Amino acid sequence: MLELALFYIFGTIAVVSAILVITQHNVVHSAIFLAGTLLSVAGIFLALNAEFLAGVQVIVYVGGILVLFVFVIMLIAVERSTFERQFNRQWKIALITSAILIGELVYVVYQGRDTFVLAEPAVPLVQGAAGNSQQVGMGLYTTYLLPFEIASILLLVAIVGAVVLAKKKTQTE
Amino acid sequence: MDVITANILTIIAFTPAAGAVLILFFNRAHVRSIRSFAFIITLLTFVFSLHLVTYFDSSVAEFQFAVNVPWIPSLGVNYELGVDGISLYLVLLATVLTPLAMLASWSIASRAKEYFIFMLLLETGMIGVFVSLDLFLFYVFWEVMLVPMYFLIGVWGGERRIYAAMKFVLYTMIGSVLMLVAIIALYFLHGSATGTFTFSYPQIMAALASNSLVIAPGMERALFLAFFLAFAIKVPLFPFHTWLPDAHVEAPTAGSVLLAGVLLKMGTYGLVRFSLPLFPHQSQLFAPMISFLAVAGIIYGALVAMVQPDLKKLVAYSSVSHLGFIVLGIFSFTTQGMEGAIYQMLSHGVSTGALFLLVGMIYERRHTRLIDDFGGLAHKMPVYAAFFLIVTLSSIGLPGLNGFVGEFLILLGTFGVSRSFAVFAALGVILSAVYMLWMYQRTFWGEVTHEPNQTLRDMNRREYAMLVPLLALIVWMGMYSNHFLRPMDASVAKLINQVQSRDVQVADQNSR
Amino acid sequence: MNIPVVNLGAILPAIMLSLFGIAIMVAEPFVSDAKKSWLGWLAIAGTIAAMLALAPMSRQAGQWYTNLWIVDSYSIFFHFLFILIAAITILTSMNFLQREGIHHTEYYALLLFATVGMMMMAGSNELIMVFLGLEILSIATYVLAGFRRTDLKSNESAMKYFLLGSFSSAFFLYGVALIFGATGSTNLIVIADSLRSGDPQTSLVSLAAALMLIGLCFKVAVAPFHVWAPDVYEGAPTPVTGFMSVGPKAAGFAVLLRIFMTAFPTLEDRWTSVFWIVAALTMLIGNVIALVQPNIKRMLAYSSIAHAGYIAVAVAAGSEHGVSAVLFYTLAYSVTNLGAFAVVTMLSRSEDKLVNLNDYAGLASKRPGLAAVLSLFMLSLAGVPGTAGFAGKFFIFKAAVQSGLIWLAVIGVITTVVSFYYYLYVIVQMYMRDPNEEFADVRTTGPLKLALAITIAGTLYLGILPTRFLDWTVSAAVNALR
Repeated sequence: MLELALFYIFGTIAVVSAILVITQHNVVHSAIFLAGTLLSVAGIFLALNAEFLAGVQVIVYVGGILVLFVFVIMLIAVERSTFERQFNRQWKIALITSAILIGELVYVVYQGRDTFVLAEPAVPLVQGAAGNSQQVGMGLYTTYLLPFEIASILLLVAIVGAVVLAKKKTQTE
Repeated sequence: MDVITANILTIIAFTPAAGAVLILFFNRAHVRSIRSFAFIITLLTFVFSLHLVTYFDSSVAEFQFAVNVPWIPSLGVNYELGVDGISLYLVLLATVLTPLAMLASWSIASRAKEYFIFMLLLETGMIGVFVSLDLFLFYVFWEVMLVPMYFLIGVWGGERRIYAAMKFVLYTMIGSVLMLVAIIALYFLHGSATGTFTFSYPQIMAALASNSLVIAPGMERALFLAFFLAFAIKVPLFPFHTWLPDAHVEAPTAGSVLLAGVLLKMGTYGLVRFSLPLFPHQSQLFAPMISFLAVAGIIYGALVAMVQPDLKKLVAYSSVSHLGFIVLGIFSFTTQGMEGAIYQMLSHGVSTGALFLLVGMIYERRHTRLIDDFGGLAHKMPVYAAFFLIVTLSSIGLPGLNGFVGEFLILLGTFGVSRSFAVFAALGVILSAVYMLWMYQRTFWGEVTHEPNQTLRDMNRREYAMLVPLLALIVWMGMYSNHFLRPMDASVAKLINQVQSRDVQVADQNSR
Repeated sequence: MNIPVVNLGAILPAIMLSLFGIAIMVAEPFVSDAKKSWLGWLAIAGTIAAMLALAPMSRQAGQWYTNLWIVDSYSIFFHFLFILIAAITILTSMNFLQREGIHHTEYYALLLFATVGMMMMAGSNELIMVFLGLEILSIATYVLAGFRRTDLKSNESAMKYFLLGSFSSAFFLYGVALIFGATGSTNLIVIADSLRSGDPQTSLVSLAAALMLIGLCFKVAVAPFHVWAPDVYEGAPTPVTGFMSVGPKAAGFAVLLRIFMTAFPTLEDRWTSVFWIVAALTMLIGNVIALVQPNIKRMLAYSSIAHAGYIAVAVAAGSEHGVSAVLFYTLAYSVTNLGAFAVVTMLSRSEDKLVNLNDYAGLASKRPGLAAVLSLFMLSLAGVPGTAGFAGKFFIFKAAVQSGLIWLAVIGVITTVVSFYYYLYVIVQMYMRDPNEEFADVRTTGPLKLALAITIAGTLYLGILPTRFLDWTVSAAVNALR
C-alpha cells in the first residue's frame, strides 16, 4: 500500500518536472526541474528496494551530470537561450505521433496485463552477499567480469571522442 | 590429341577471354598491334572451332565434347559444357562472325584497347551461352554477355548511344532476372523430388523424362512464362522488340553485326534448348498465341521497315521480321519447322551480318545512312553494288541462296499445323522483297544525284576479306544445305520426340 | 566467492585491437609531424595481429566468462569480417588524412575501438554485452563522422547520427529491460529456454522483441528507419562513410540474427512476416530513391539501404540457408562497397567536396585504370555474374525461394534491375561523357593500391570461386543454430 502511494507521488513529481523541463523558458529553471525528475526517479528506486541504484542515481546523475549541465549553462547558454525557439516548428505533428505511440503502448500493456508478473524479491546473484551494493559489487567482479572490463573501453572511447570534438583548433588544422 | 578433344569447348570458349587479358598488357598507343592481336585471337578461336565440325558425329543425338567439373559443390553447380546438332553451328556462327567484326573495327582509334577487350569478352560470353549445360553457368554467360555489349554501344556508338545502351541492358535484364528465379525454383523442385540438388540441365531433363520429377501445371506455367519472357525479349518477339531498333542503329558496325548475327539467336536458342524440352505441355498450350505474335512480328517488322529512311534501321526492322519466322518455325513442333528455324538462325546471322557490314562500309565513306543521300551508287562502286545485291537477295529468300532454305522449311512446317499462319508468314516474304528491293533501287540504281557520291571508292582488300567468306557461306548454304542440315537431324529428332512424348506424359499427369 | 575462469584466448583479437588502439594514442608524442603516417601502419599492424589472433581464438570454442561470451564459427566469421573492414578502411584513410589535414591519432584509435565494439556485438551471448558493444561502436562512429570539425556537413552528420543513434539504443535497451522482466535473465540461451518451457507470455515478449528490432533496424538502416542514412553518409568524411556503410550494418545483422535465432525461435513466424515487409519496403525505397541522386555518396547511401533490404530478405528466409546467405552477402558487400568508397575517396579531393556525379565525367579517358576499377565495383553492387555481388544475391534469392518466399524474390530481382540504372549511370558518366578536368591531382598511393588490390581480389574471388567461403558460412550458420 505504502509502495503504491510512494510510486504515485514520485511518479507524478517526475512527470510534471519533466514537462516543466521542456516548457520552461529559462534554462536554469529547466536544469533545476531536471534535478527534480532525477531525484524522484531515485525515490522510486528506493521504494523498490534498490538502494544501490538510488544512491548511484543521486551521486552520478544529479551530482555529476546535472552539475556539469549547470556549469556549461552558466558559462555559455544563459543569454543565448533566451533567443532560441522553445519548440520545434513541427510540434503539433510530434504531439500527435507521440500520442499515437503512447496509445499503442497503453494498448499493448493493457492487452498483456495478465502476463505481467509482480516482482518477487530477486534471487541474490552472488551467494553470501547481503544488501544491494554488496551484490552489485560481487557480481561485477565475478559473473559480469567481462562487461565490466569492456565498459572501460566504452569510457575511453567517450573521453577520446569528447576531447577530439571539443578541443581548441591546433596549428595544424 | 585426346586432351585437346576433351577440353575443346573450354578452349574455344575461353581463348578470346585469355586474349582479352593479354591485351591488358599492351600499350594503349599501339593501336595497330592491338588490332592485329585481337584479330589473330579470333581467327585462332575459329580454327579451334573447326575441330568441332571435323570430329562431330552426326548420328549421335546426345551432347558431345562434354565437360563436367564440379564448380560450387555445395550448391550443385557444375562447370558443364557440351554441344549437340542444334548448338554446333551456332558456335560456328559466333566464331565466324567475330573475326569479320574485328576486321570491320579497323577504323576504331579512340580507346581501341578497351574496345577490343570488350569484343573478345563478348565472344567468350556468346560461345559460353551456346555450350553451357548447367543452368547456373548458362545464366552467368547470358548476363555476362550484356556488359561488353553495353560498353560497346555506349562508348563507341552513334548519337543516342547512351539511351540505346541503357534500354538494351534494362530490357534484357527484366526478362533474365525472372528467368533466374525460375531457374532457382526448378532447382528446388528437382532437389526435393529426387534428393539431388543440381543445376545440371541433362540431369533435370532425365528426371523429368523418367517421371521422378513432376511439376504441377500452375507451377509449370509460371516457370514457362518466366523463361519465355527472357527469351522473347532477346529474340526479339513482337511486342518485346522495341529495344532492338535503337540498339542496332546506335551500335558501332561490329557491334551491330554481332548483335544481329549472334546475340538475337541466343533468344531462339534458349527457346529450343530450354523452353520446349523442359515445359512441353505449356509450350504446346501457348503455341497458338506465340505463333500469332511471331506472325504479327513478321508483318509489322516488314511494314515498318518499308518506311524507314535510315538504312541501318531498315535492316534492324527486317531482323524483327526474320526472327518472327524463326519463332514460327520453332513453335510448329514439326521436324521441318524446327530444322528450318535453326537453319534460318544460321542464315539470318550470315546475311544480316553481311548487311550490317555493307552498311558500315558506306557509312565509313559518307558518314550518313539516309537512303536519300545515296542514289546511283552502282555507277561508282560496282563491286560493292554486286555484293550488296547478292546479300539482299539472300535476305529476301531467293532460291539458291541460304535464306530460301530456312524460310521454305519453316513455311512447310507451319503449313502443316496452321494454314492461315503460313499464309500470313508468306505475305511477310513478299513484303521483305518489297522493302529490300525498293531500298536497293533507291540506293544503287538511277543516276548519281549527290555530289559527294561522285568520288566514292570501291571496296578495298580488307572489305573484300570481310565479305567474301560471308558470300561464300551464303551460296554454299543455299546450294549444299544438306551439309548444314545433317548434323542437326539427330538432335532435332530427339528434341521433337522429347517434346511430344513429354507432352503426352504431362497431359497424362494433369488429367490424373 | 568464486573468481570466474579468465580465458584471454577467447577474446584475444579484441584485446589485440584495444592494445594497439591505446598504443597509437601513447605513441603519438613520440612521432614527429612528418612521420604521422607511421601511426596508420601501427594500426595496420594491429589489424594483422588481431587477424593472427583468430587462430588461437578458434581453439577456444564454447561459452566463456559465465556464459556471456561465445566462441563459435559464427562469431569467428564476423571477427574476421570486422578486422578485414577495419584494415581496408585504415588503408583507405591514410592518404586521406594527410590530404585533408585531419589529426591522425584519434582517428585510428577510434576506428580500432569501433571494431572492438563490433566484435563484442558478434561474440556476445548476453544482451548487456551486446548493448555495450553497440554503444562502443556507435559512440566511436559518431565521433568519426564528425571528424572534419570545420566542415558544416560533417558536424551535421555527426549530430544527426548521434541523436538518432542514441534514440535507437534507448529503444534497444528498453526491449532488453522488458525481456529481463519477462524471463528473468538477459542471457540469450536462458531466455530461449524459459520461453520454450515456461509460460510464453507472448504479449510482453513480443513488445520486447519489437523494441529490440526497432533499435537494431535503425542501426542497419532498413526502411522505415533509414531516413538518417543519406544525410549522415553524405556529411561524414568519405573513408568513414565507407566504414559506416559496411561495419555497423554487418554488426547489426550479426546481432539481429544471433538474438532472434537463439533467443526468440518461438516467435519465428511473427518476425518472419515483419522482415518480409521490411525487406520489400527497403528494397523498393532504397533502389527507387537512389535513381535521382546527383551526389555519389548519397547514391551509395541509398544503395546501401537497398542492400540492407536484400540482406533482410535472407533474414526473413531464416534457418541455415538464410543465415549463411546473410553471412556471405555481408562479406561480399563489404568488400565491394569498401572498394567503391576507396575510389571515391581518391577522387573527392579539395576538402572532400568533389563527390557529385558530374565530377566523374570522362574519367575513363584520363584515368582508365581507376575507371575500370570503379566500374567493376559498380557492376558487383548491381549484381553482374562473375562478381561477389552476384554470388551474394544469388544465395539470398535461393534462400528466399527455398523458404517459399517467391514473391519476395521476385520483388528482389525486379528492384535489382532498377538498381542497374543508377550503377550503370556512374559508368555512363565515366566512359561516355567528355571530361571536365585533367584529374592530374589524383594520386594513387601505396596504401590505397593495397586496399584496392584486396577489394578487387575479394570481389572477383568471391564471384568466381565462392566455394570456400560459402562452405564456411554454411558451417557457421549450422553452428549458430544448433
